[in-house]
Formats: sequence, C-alpha cells, structure tokens
Amino acid sequence: MSDVFENGAGGAGNGSEPLLVVEHLKKYFPVKRGVLIDRTVDHVKAVDDVSFEIYPGETLGLVGESGSGKSTTGYCVLQLLKPTSGSVRFLGQDLTKMSRSELRQMRREMQIVFQDPYASLNPRMTVGDIVSEALAINGIGDRRSRRRSAERLLEVVGFNPDFINRYPHEFSGGQRQRIGVARALALNPRLIVCDEPVSALDVSIQAQILNLLKDLQREFNLTYLFIAHDLAVVRTMSDRIAVMNRGKIVEVGDAEDVYQNPTDQYTKALLAAVPVPDPRKMRVRREERRKLKGALAEPV
Amino acid sequence: MALLEVDDLKTYFKTREGEVHAVDGVSFSLERGKTLGIVGESGCGKSVTALSIMGLVPGPGRVVSGSVVFDGRSMLDRKQRELEDIRGRDIGMIFQDPMTSLNPTLTIGTQITETLRRHLKLNRDAARKRATELLEEVHIPNAAGRLDDYPHRYSGGMRQRVMIAIALACNPKLLIADEPTTALDVTVQAGVLDLLRELRAEHDMAMVIITHDMGVVAETADDIVVMYAGQIVEHATTLDLFDTPEHPYTEALLAALPQLEGENVREGRLVSIPGRPPDLLAPPLACRFAPRCQYAGHDDCAGVLPALREIRPGHWVRSAHPASERAAHAVGAR
Amino acid sequence: MVADRRAEFEASLIRTAETRGQEAGAALQRASLLRDAVHRFSRNRAAATAAFAFLVLIGFVFITPMVVSASPYDINFENAYLSPSWAHPFGTDEFGRDLFVRTALGGRVSVEIGFAATIAIMFVGIVYGAISGFAGGWLDNALMRFLDALYGLPYLPFAIITLAIFGTPSFWPMVVALTVASWFTTARVMRGQIITLKENDYVRAAHALGARWYRVLFRHLLPNTLGVIIVFVFLELPGVVLGEAFLSFLGLGISPPKASWGTLAQDGYSSYQSHPYIIIVPSLAIAWLILSAFFIADGLRDALDPRTRSY
Repeated sequence: MSDVFENGAGGAGNGSEPLLVVEHLKKYFPVKRGVLIDRTVDHVKAVDDVSFEIYPGETLGLVGESGSGKSTTGYCVLQLLKPTSGSVRFLGQDLTKMSRSELRQMRREMQIVFQDPYASLNPRMTVGDIVSEALAINGIGDRRSRRRSAERLLEVVGFNPDFINRYPHEFSGGQRQRIGVARALALNPRLIVCDEPVSALDVSIQAQILNLLKDLQREFNLTYLFIAHDLAVVRTMSDRIAVMNRGKIVEVGDAEDVYQNPTDQYTKALLAAVPVPDPRKMRVRREERRKLKGALAEPV
Repeated sequence: MALLEVDDLKTYFKTREGEVHAVDGVSFSLERGKTLGIVGESGCGKSVTALSIMGLVPGPGRVVSGSVVFDGRSMLDRKQRELEDIRGRDIGMIFQDPMTSLNPTLTIGTQITETLRRHLKLNRDAARKRATELLEEVHIPNAAGRLDDYPHRYSGGMRQRVMIAIALACNPKLLIADEPTTALDVTVQAGVLDLLRELRAEHDMAMVIITHDMGVVAETADDIVVMYAGQIVEHATTLDLFDTPEHPYTEALLAALPQLEGENVREGRLVSIPGRPPDLLAPPLACRFAPRCQYAGHDDCAGVLPALREIRPGHWVRSAHPASERAAHAVGAR
Repeated sequence: MVADRRAEFEASLIRTAETRGQEAGAALQRASLLRDAVHRFSRNRAAATAAFAFLVLIGFVFITPMVVSASPYDINFENAYLSPSWAHPFGTDEFGRDLFVRTALGGRVSVEIGFAATIAIMFVGIVYGAISGFAGGWLDNALMRFLDALYGLPYLPFAIITLAIFGTPSFWPMVVALTVASWFTTARVMRGQIITLKENDYVRAAHALGARWYRVLFRHLLPNTLGVIIVFVFLELPGVVLGEAFLSFLGLGISPPKASWGTLAQDGYSSYQSHPYIIIVPSLAIAWLILSAFFIADGLRDALDPRTRSY
C-alpha cells in the first residue's frame, strides 16, 4: 500500500501518469416534496457528467459562475459528498469504491482549503490544535512532536510560531486563510483542492495568499485543483483550465489557449464579461458583449 | 454649480474602545450627468461616505463635521422627514445584496408603486402603468405579467434590475450605487453595468459608484477617488488614474491585480502589499499608508499627514512620494 | 516507507520555515471573547441587577441557616403565628417555627431540586437532540416525530404519575418527575444547533482530515453549543422551580419536616386570610428566583451573541 504513495514527481505533460482521473462524474440532488413521506419529484443536476485529469505538480483551474457545479465537483472528488455516479481515480485507485477506512487512509493524500475564513476554523480550538489536528487524528507523532510540527507549519505559512496558542478570532481574514492552508498541508498531501480560497479577501491580501500557494506548490511538490469564479485569479494560478457551466465542462485546455482562443460560446461570453482594469479596452469589450448577447442571457 | 459637493466630511463611530474615524476628511464634487467611482478595500470608509451623504449612517456613528451640498441645498442639517423626501425622489440608491434589499413579502409591483405613490403622488393605475414602463426600461421580459410576482421568483440579476428600476422610478438626478454588482455573477454583472450606462445617458443622471473592483470602476466611471483608511489618497479622471497612477497605494493596488492577459502570468508572483490597513481608532497623525509603503521615508512620512494636492490639472494625490516626483528625483525604493 | 516520507516532509518544513519571513503579520489586538461577553453582560443593567439578585438569593438560602440561631424544627406553640418582627423577620408559622430560617432551608431544597432537575433536563435534551441532529436522515425523522408526540402529553398529569410510581415524594423522585416532561424544548433546540453547526466548513474540514464521527461530535460540534446550553440552563431553571412549587402546593411535595418553598406556601394557604405572610414569603422567593433567572438568561443570550465580525 505504501508503495503507491511513492513520490512520482513530474510536471504536466512529460508523460507521467495523471494523479487524478475523474470520469463521468455526476451529482444529482433530489428535490423532495410530500406531506408525511417525502417523495423525490425531481433532481438538481449540480454536476452532470464531468470528466477531467490532473497531472502531478500542475494546477488545474476549474472556473465557472455560481451554480455551475464547480465547488460540488471539488467536494465529490474528495468524497466529502458522495457522487451519484462516475469514478474518481486517485493515485490509481477508485475512491468511489472504497470502504470508509480505506478512504480515511487516502485522505492523507488529498486535502482542501475552504472559501470562508470565518467558517472554516473551529472558534473553540487554538490555532495550534487546528493545524495539528490532522496529525492527531492519524496518530502521527506524540504531543510534543505535534506541537513542533504545528509551529513549523505556521512558520511555513508566514506566522510567528508563538501564535499556536491563539484563537482564530484574533486573526484577520487573510491570516485565517493561511491557517487553513497550514492545516491542509499538515499531512503532506499530494493533492489540495482550493475551493475559492481568495474570494472573500481584499485584493492586496489576495495577492499574498496566491503567492503563498504558488510558493508552497513549488516547495512541496503539490498538485492543485483550483476552483474559482474570478477568471483573472484562475489565470494566475493555473496551467490548464476547465470551464464549467450548469454542471458541465464546456471547455478545457491549456490556460493560454483557453484565454486567448476560446472555442466555446459560453467561455467567450465569460471572458468578454470580466471587467478589465483598463479603461481603453472598455468600448471594445462592450462591442464583444453585444455580439455575444445570446450566450449572456440571464436565467429567468 | 456642481450637483453634489462634499467638503471635509468626517464621520466617526463611538465604540467601547473609543471613536473610530471611519471617514476622516473627504471632499469631492460631482457634476450633473457624470459618474464618480469611489474605490478602496474593505474598511476604507467608502460605504460610510455614501451613507453619510444620504443621512443613513447607522446608530453609533454620526457625521461630526463637514458639509454635503446636493443641488444647492445642504443635506446634513435636514430633518429625517425632508431627507426621506429627497431619498427616492432626487437621489436613488442601490445596494449590494439584491437578495435582502427587496421585501420578500411584497410583490415587485407593490414595491415599485410604493415609491411612485409616495413621491410622485400617482394614483394606483397610473403607478402600475409607470411601474410596467420601468420594468421594461430595465429589460425585464414580460414586464406587465411580472409585476405581481414575488421577489423569490426573480433571479439575482433581475432583482438588481428591479432595484435599479425602483431607484430610477422618480427620475432622480443622482444615483448612488454601493457595490451594485459584487454579489452577482460576472456575466450578469456585465449586463447590469451596461444597463446603468444606458440609463444614465438617457436620463442625464449623475452616479456615484462604490466598489472595490478596479475593473468595474474602469468601465463605468468618468472620475475616480481612491480611499484608504478613511481618507482620499488619489483623485483623478479614469484614464489619468490608470495611465499614470501617482499614489503608492494606487500603484500597489493595480500591481496586485491578477491579470487576465499578459505573459508570464503563471510563473510570476503577484505584487502584494505587506501588512494591513491601520486601526481607525486612533489614526496616526501621519501618512496612513506609510507603514506599508515602500517609498516611505522617516523624515517626511512619519510625522506629517500629507495634504491632498493637485499634482497635475485634475489629478490630486495625498502623498509625499507620488510617482511623477519619484521619477523626477530618481528616488529609489528603500 | 511512510515514516521516511514523513521525516522528509518535516525536514522540508524546517527548511522552508527558515526562508519564509513572518509575512502574515501580527495578530489583531483583541480582548478575549470571554472578556467581551462578560463586559457586554455587565453593561446590560437588567441582567447585571438580576445576576446580583440571584446571587443574593443563593447566598440567603445557603448561608442563613448557618448563622441564624433559631432552629427550624423547634415546635413552640407559644410563638405560633407571630407577625414579622426583629426576632423573627418572616414571622412564625402555626407551630411557632421561625419562618426566616425555614424559608432559607426550604430555599435550599427548592434550589437543589431545581438545579438537579435542570442538569438532568440538559443531559437528556442534549443527548437526544445531538443524536437526532447529528445522525440526520430517518433516525432524525423518527426521533423528532416521537418528540412531537411527547409534546402532546400533559405536563402535570405526567409529573404526578411519575411521583405516584415512586411512592413517597422525596428528592430524587421529584427531580425525575420534573425532568420527565420538561426536556423536549431543550432537545429541539440542541438538534437545531447541531444541524446549523454541521454546515460550517470546519466540520467539513474535520471530515476531510479523516476524523471519525465521535471526534466531530465531541470536539467540533458540542463545544460550540456551549453558549446556547448556558443560556438554556437559566431558562429551564425557573420552570423547574415553579413546577416543584406547584406540585408541592398540590400536596405532592417533599414530606415534612423537610420543606421546600412549595410546601411552605401550601402550609400557609390555610391561614392566608389571617396570616398572609406565611404564604407571601415563599411565593415572593419563588418569583425572585424566576425573574432573576430569566433576566440572566436574556443577558447571557445577548452577551454570547457572536455579532462581532472582524475585517
């Protein structure tokens, strides 16, 4: 079992095996109605037949608007939500077919950073406990070594190690996100799913956290599934990009290609809609949007 | 004469620990038909500025000094009743969250006609007709039929359009939009911004748009005011601000933005601004950006609060080290 | 193999930690949440006054019998039915027993029963509600439907039946009787709390780290319900004390010579026209406890409200 975890380092496209292969992933949420007994009348197709791969060391950006199913996809990959159907092969094994204890073993290799810095940390735990909980759960080390690990993890994300005895409410949003990143890193995972990690942060703090994520990726050979709605942020972080709309992937490819030469109508509309901090481009972009009017139609 | 003149506005909040200087000396003016963008990150005081103008500052806060003159009349020394007349009729407002700005228990039609009947004294039928016209103006399909729908049957973008319709109902001279598209998807946002532009042109309406999004303000505003820690640090036309930003904060903010296009985006690092905005409880009597500024010098930045000065015609900056002077003196970064 | 990888990782951490500066910056200068809550509570005049009144009552109830010399059991018919005076601040009853001391002792019994029953209610309610909320699905459904059915049961007959089952009403039967029909609301509220808290990302994070259900429940969910639990203690206490008083007044209370406020009130009922103080005093004591507890609960609720959000 441990052999599977051997470090198969290598960047995307050098012929290495994909770290994660998702095939025909579906997540449908039943819509229930009924008085005494709930009957399922319909389904919300949050994720509707999604397939993609991620190679070791790369970042796959998953971009889409709200309701596109991108966060749900992330949760399904980590089996935090049980997929309705489809397979998720991680390190060669299908996560959807694993028992709970096998899955728990696998969890050491895949972690997540959440969006809301105010809801992702238990307000009653010290920062040190939060960050080292992963080690405690998995029986790694003893109390003293876990404390040392917690201190180092905090240092790695830019904190003064003395902060291990502080509580989350003593930190700002950006700082809390760093704590969340430290927590995700604690088990030395191969894959980290970043679910809108900077959406709730100010621009100047966003930049700090994105830089941190980039640095950590290099330093620890991490692979990211980077989920966001901000196209510019995704562009900065991703090697390859998948665009989602209403539960389906409408376009996938190298970041450069997708942004310079989008082929799908929705992708084009999305790119044209992003307000760019360059007033001279305003008129041109407005024209583009007018031409793509159909694809931009709002749901009623 | 300008439509809106704000002069040295100061709004403070009383808290247990002391007084928070949320807005600390803000001045600007707005001409008829023009759009002013107020940008800044959270806590800079941009929303409180808007609320101060409209007399809507909540509880522990109050305007301590300064003046706000709208259409020739002072706003700050008016009674609530008079302000209520002005709000909705002469000044329209739209806020950030369309989910909570509309009353879920009243139909859309009722909410629009309510404001029409209060300010324009229209009878029921005339109000309904006008409401339908307004919904059509904001491009709600099948407007007449949707008047009697409740807000939950509208999507986020459509609700924001309804908010705009309500704000525009009495043909106000000024529209104040506080983060109008922040809660919306990008494609929906584009539609709403385009709509606002269309309506402003048609009604010759002035607008103040408050946002943290530099892209939004680039696309909608004629002039831009950059706020930091309760003060204006830069004020210029949109083109001028983006072409030649002067204040180190503005420069840093623009540099920190992830780019949609460009080379080396993936490998490079974003320029981040270290540290955090200052505590507004006891703001230092010095440049508030100095602790985070790479050009700050001990002599001129730590003890003196730079005044807002006109470094070029129409371009104001509050800094001891604006970009053009740096280039001229070849002062290197410390 | 795994241990090697771990060691390698730790080494990487050390290396990286050395090169990374402390770019996250300083922590915010904030008072602790507890101090904030205490401050908010003390600012609330009603709550602070109520807390003081509550403590005064508790003090009276527990300290008085230790310092006052009059014995509560001495039967002295000569002193019967004395009105309140310096020697007997609350007067005497039909047996000549000093009511000041009796009220204090009776208070001890009432308060002890009250707290015991409250704790029992909390326990049952928390366990039931937490299981229901945490499990979700059909179990939650079943437990809640059952609870709905229980709500329909009349409180008083249930308490009376329980007492009857036990035979003589003494401390523990009383506690059980009071608990049996009072834990429903607590269970409901706890379930609601657990369900709401389950949605927080830090709970998902715990799952992602591989935490088992008991860790999630005891480390992440329950500790965050503490605030609600504390408030509820002070909300349930009055109800229980009043319940005990009522049952006692009906004659089902603690057997003499032990007394509670309820039995004292019952004693005074027969002579309330001529000697009203005998029934007034314990009634006031009960009201005092109830009102102060309610205002404390209200103040606690406001104080523990997580309203502050930092930037």
